[in-house]
Amino acid sequence: MAVRDEIRLLRHGRDWRGRSTVPRSADPWIQSEEEREFPTGWARSRVAVVVRSVLRRGLLRPVTWSQTRPVVEGVEYLENLRGPAVFVANHSSHLDAPLIVSSLPRRFADRLAVGAAADYFFDARVRAAATVLFFNAFPVERHGSRRLRSLAVDLLDDGWSLLLFPEGTRSEDGWMSAFKPGTAQLCVSKGVPVVPVALRGAYAAMPRGRNWPVPGRPRISVRYGRPLHPLDGEGFRELRTRMMRAVVRLSAEEELGWYGALRAEADESLELPRRSAERPGPAEWRRVWESTRPLDPRPQRRVWTF
Amino acid sequence: MSRPGFVLEVDERTPPLLVHQGEGFRLERLPLGSKVVYPPDSLPGVRNVDAAIEYALLNPMGIEPLPELLKPGMRLTIVFDDISLPLPPMQTPDVRQRVIEHVLELAAAKGVDDVELIAGNSLHRRMTPAELKRIVGERVFRSFFPDHLRNHDAEDSANLLDLGTTDQGEVVELNRRAMESDLVVYVNITLTAMSGGPKSVSVGLASYRSLRHHHNVQTLRHSRSFNDPPNSAMHHSYERMKDLIGGHVTVFQIEATLNNDTFPASTGFLNKREWEWNLADQGRYLAVKRANELLPTKSRRRLWQATAAPYGVTAVNAGTPSDVHPQTIANVHRQQLTEVQGQSDVAIFGLPYICPYNVNSIMNPILVMSLGLGYFFNLYRNRPLVRPGGTAIFYHPVPGDFHPVHHPSYIDFFDEVLTQSTDPAVLETKYEQQFATDPWYIQLYRKSYAYHGVHPFYMWYWGAHALEHLGEVIFVGGNRRTTARMGFKTASTLADALEIASHTVGTSPTISYLHAPPLVMADVR
Amino acid sequence: MILALEYQRSPARYLAARGVTSTALGSRLTGMVAGNVAPLRLVNHPAPDPPGTGWTRVAPRLSGICGSDLSLLAGQSSPYLSPVTSMPFVPGHEVVGETLDELPGLPRGSRVVLDPVLACEPRGAKQCRWCGTGRASRCDHVTIGRVSAGLQTGFCSDTGGGWSRQFVAHHSQLHGVPDTMSDERAVLVEPLACAVHTVRRVDMPSGASVVVVGAGTVGMLTLLALRELSPAVPIHVVAKHWHQQERALALGATAVHPPGRATRALRRSTLARMHVPERGSEFLLGGVDIAFECTGGASGLDTALRLVRAGGTVVMSGMPSGHVDLTPVWYRELSLVGAYASDAGGPDGERPDFARAIELAATAPLEDWVEPAYPLRRWREAIGHAVDAGRLGSIKIAFDPNRE
Repeated sequence: MAVRDEIRLLRHGRDWRGRSTVPRSADPWIQSEEEREFPTGWARSRVAVVVRSVLRRGLLRPVTWSQTRPVVEGVEYLENLRGPAVFVANHSSHLDAPLIVSSLPRRFADRLAVGAAADYFFDARVRAAATVLFFNAFPVERHGSRRLRSLAVDLLDDGWSLLLFPEGTRSEDGWMSAFKPGTAQLCVSKGVPVVPVALRGAYAAMPRGRNWPVPGRPRISVRYGRPLHPLDGEGFRELRTRMMRAVVRLSAEEELGWYGALRAEADESLELPRRSAERPGPAEWRRVWESTRPLDPRPQRRVWTF
Repeated sequence: MSRPGFVLEVDERTPPLLVHQGEGFRLERLPLGSKVVYPPDSLPGVRNVDAAIEYALLNPMGIEPLPELLKPGMRLTIVFDDISLPLPPMQTPDVRQRVIEHVLELAAAKGVDDVELIAGNSLHRRMTPAELKRIVGERVFRSFFPDHLRNHDAEDSANLLDLGTTDQGEVVELNRRAMESDLVVYVNITLTAMSGGPKSVSVGLASYRSLRHHHNVQTLRHSRSFNDPPNSAMHHSYERMKDLIGGHVTVFQIEATLNNDTFPASTGFLNKREWEWNLADQGRYLAVKRANELLPTKSRRRLWQATAAPYGVTAVNAGTPSDVHPQTIANVHRQQLTEVQGQSDVAIFGLPYICPYNVNSIMNPILVMSLGLGYFFNLYRNRPLVRPGGTAIFYHPVPGDFHPVHHPSYIDFFDEVLTQSTDPAVLETKYEQQFATDPWYIQLYRKSYAYHGVHPFYMWYWGAHALEHLGEVIFVGGNRRTTARMGFKTASTLADALEIASHTVGTSPTISYLHAPPLVMADVR
Repeated sequence: MILALEYQRSPARYLAARGVTSTALGSRLTGMVAGNVAPLRLVNHPAPDPPGTGWTRVAPRLSGICGSDLSLLAGQSSPYLSPVTSMPFVPGHEVVGETLDELPGLPRGSRVVLDPVLACEPRGAKQCRWCGTGRASRCDHVTIGRVSAGLQTGFCSDTGGGWSRQFVAHHSQLHGVPDTMSDERAVLVEPLACAVHTVRRVDMPSGASVVVVGAGTVGMLTLLALRELSPAVPIHVVAKHWHQQERALALGATAVHPPGRATRALRRSTLARMHVPERGSEFLLGGVDIAFECTGGASGLDTALRLVRAGGTVVMSGMPSGHVDLTPVWYRELSLVGAYASDAGGPDGERPDFARAIELAATAPLEDWVEPAYPLRRWREAIGHAVDAGRLGSIKIAFDPNRE
């Protein structure tokens, strides 16, 4: 029989993907496929690393910088940092990862893996492939009964730095919420330093629901803090608190300046985010109002006069 | 989690199903409503086979542990199944090799010197040294061949011992060396429920005088089926013979059962249910099929005969034949038994390229008949898959090729005997004796590598029950001349076959397809 | 937090889906498009809260996939309906479930079927003229009130929908299911109510000839309702697939015709004349009295319009899509009647469609109409199966949100 006839026979009863519907009488005997994790190892091969580096410097960074005006501070704190580190940041926008990835020094950016929500980014293959290629993403389980062992531990062992968002999801109103314990547990168990990063203005530029920044090149500030090394005998709760304080302080630097923020932290006047259930305080509109306050006044339009 | 076997009912969503056809296979769209009998998923094999063997040897059923039976200065005979099992041949190391090595270790530790290894090949052909080596392994081969490792010779009257007759008058004449030993250790692989147990010694070491009492038309017609020992007249005969043997010599039977991993990973799609084929499987199917069709016949045959199955061992049990065999049968059923509700008008069987008698050889038309109407038809318990007077449809090209060295008596059987009659009873009375005692065939059997002169008759009797039961036999894709000689019909496609069948079973018959290989036994209620 | 299939607003994806499925080749890939291009995602989101008293949370046991849902996912539904939906919403309006809160007359844990229409009463709105006269499916207030805009549960962002583990419903939307009725029958009650309503939309004089175009769920249930509720008349069914033909005959159709031969067959049985235009399909001068269009596709409506005699009636019970030449409506002075959802049957409310449907569903030959239910995780497979249901020998595909 010709190959064409064979193929036609094979296609009968199968869909465009080559999958067959299960015959009715075989339905009780379906083997539930174990959820296979989207393979991400390919993105850490030499070729992929080079490709990603080129894409980051040639495409991701220019586009991000053209749509927003990021101001990056604190990169000098990373000078003496050796070996893998875990970067933690507050999360309010899809811009967070591109901004951090594009603002890190090359030696970190080329050896960075970003934790991305498994149910959001790894749902459809095309989106998963794109995220993995551009950001070297690996899936992080947020919900679901099956606790897939996250790749984070293996990546740290292999010398990859990680970018994680311990809040677990993008903020609804631009304010930071409490960090989930996973990141702190990871750093304590592996003894890896934590670099706090605070982003301000990302929510205003591209909040939940938007897929592109607002026009007008809004200003966003990206602030790196000193690496936090896990102390001897420090439990993950203490490290988590330290991480949150550091990010909150960096965030407050926008209004208070560096020294002001340090003083405010020492005076305990900086409010740490608490778990959402127990959060009283200003109404939602005011929180969003504050988050969307532009970071610096519009520059005065020059008026030419003769 | 191994899924049990089940019966699929073909509906609009069922993709075309795989049907084996000699040295090849095809996808066939069965009519809606056809029932397809699938075997249970392949059970996981025992991870540590050696540990399982050791445990079995030290904890046998109904007899003392093997070390206690071994004494220095005793005469020990180890008998093992020949190349007709398993099918396809198992990937080395064969489980028999491992069992024999364990037995010999124990024997050596106990200082047993007089050890003979005999292949229980009965009236099958002798195995070549290479084939023997493949089964017993390099180490055993080197230590025992050629003086103490040999094939059983059923025509060597000096080396046969008549043990008497059973109460039904059945002569029991077996290999002298084995019967005069202090202990016979039989190493068996029970591939289907037919083998093992009482069959092993009473058939494997027998002579023609003994075999004719159960390998005859009457017995086979009353073996319903011969894969179901409680209902098989043949096995009742074996039981009687075994009791007689048990009075003469101690038999320590070691039985291994295998799972359904019949095909190597490169053709893994042959083991999977068709609607679970992913794109890789479909691609492999296309590639293998196309390559298979393009090969010249000889290369194709060599390639297929060279495949070895990655069988896993599901269990190893030891003990007296009557104590160990029920456990073994239970294991076989666990792997192969599927419950089927009701018989149907038409049964479809896809015949593979290999049967017990053409390993490293050629499948001639008579072997096709015995594989189809014998082995496959009898893969049932309680009642045949097809109703009395129904139609059986087999897929096989039935080429008219004969292996001149292995099957010389078959050629004459086909050319001379079958032209006279195809009725097994007639053949038995008129021709069997001639072929069984023909000195030329006996010489070829003893000195060359030929099946005994009477063997083609046994093959024909194997299908006697089916010939009596069925109304019609149709081969799809079969060679017109050879099938006609055997008294069957041919059709080029399934639709044509069903049209031919419509004269017997009507235009909308109920259809069952036994999806084997891998082996499945239908428990028909 | 519950598992739910959420449909999000994405004009780009909607247009992409519509573009693909509108071509001849692309329409064969509708299953793929509906599963991958449509902006439908499996998410974990907070369960909807009851918007007030009289509402209860419901945990679905079986939720059917309706042709209107598939039309939405394939981008073939009309933008006309966009203001009466609020995105993102969870689809699913054919639901049998269990209540999770106490309601007067419906204790917690009762098994209920949902009447999805969100009319004045659930919305707490001032009663419009239709709700006042027992025709809630025509409610004018579907965009205001306590819950966001949405003509039905399953198109409203505040209520959730059947394709999830929990949604909310008002007590007026819920009808108890007798214990003797299996979930598979109960999930067919809502489409059966629509079929009952469709049949009640027209007067059927005895001796009228009827054709039902389309033999999917809607067509089969319309046929069933016709046989139960109207005088015995010859009913012809136009069915594409073999198994549909068998079922239609079993349900009492007078004759079944494949689409290509329907016009010729009806020509003979109504002694009409058939003409073939230079472009377009053939039509009858003469023909049947009443046609029920149950496919929701343009070709189905086209066929129905061309099979009906002058002055006849064409009832549109499937949600329409595509473009149709309406010349026959003008030239043959046809009545084009729409039938949507179900209601209580007029001012006296004495012929509630839903209650009648529950009665019918208990006794009608509805075995094996619902395929084994899919878990939410395999939603792409389920949608693909539903799109090809006719070809695959199925009638109704449903989700079992509790199945893993």
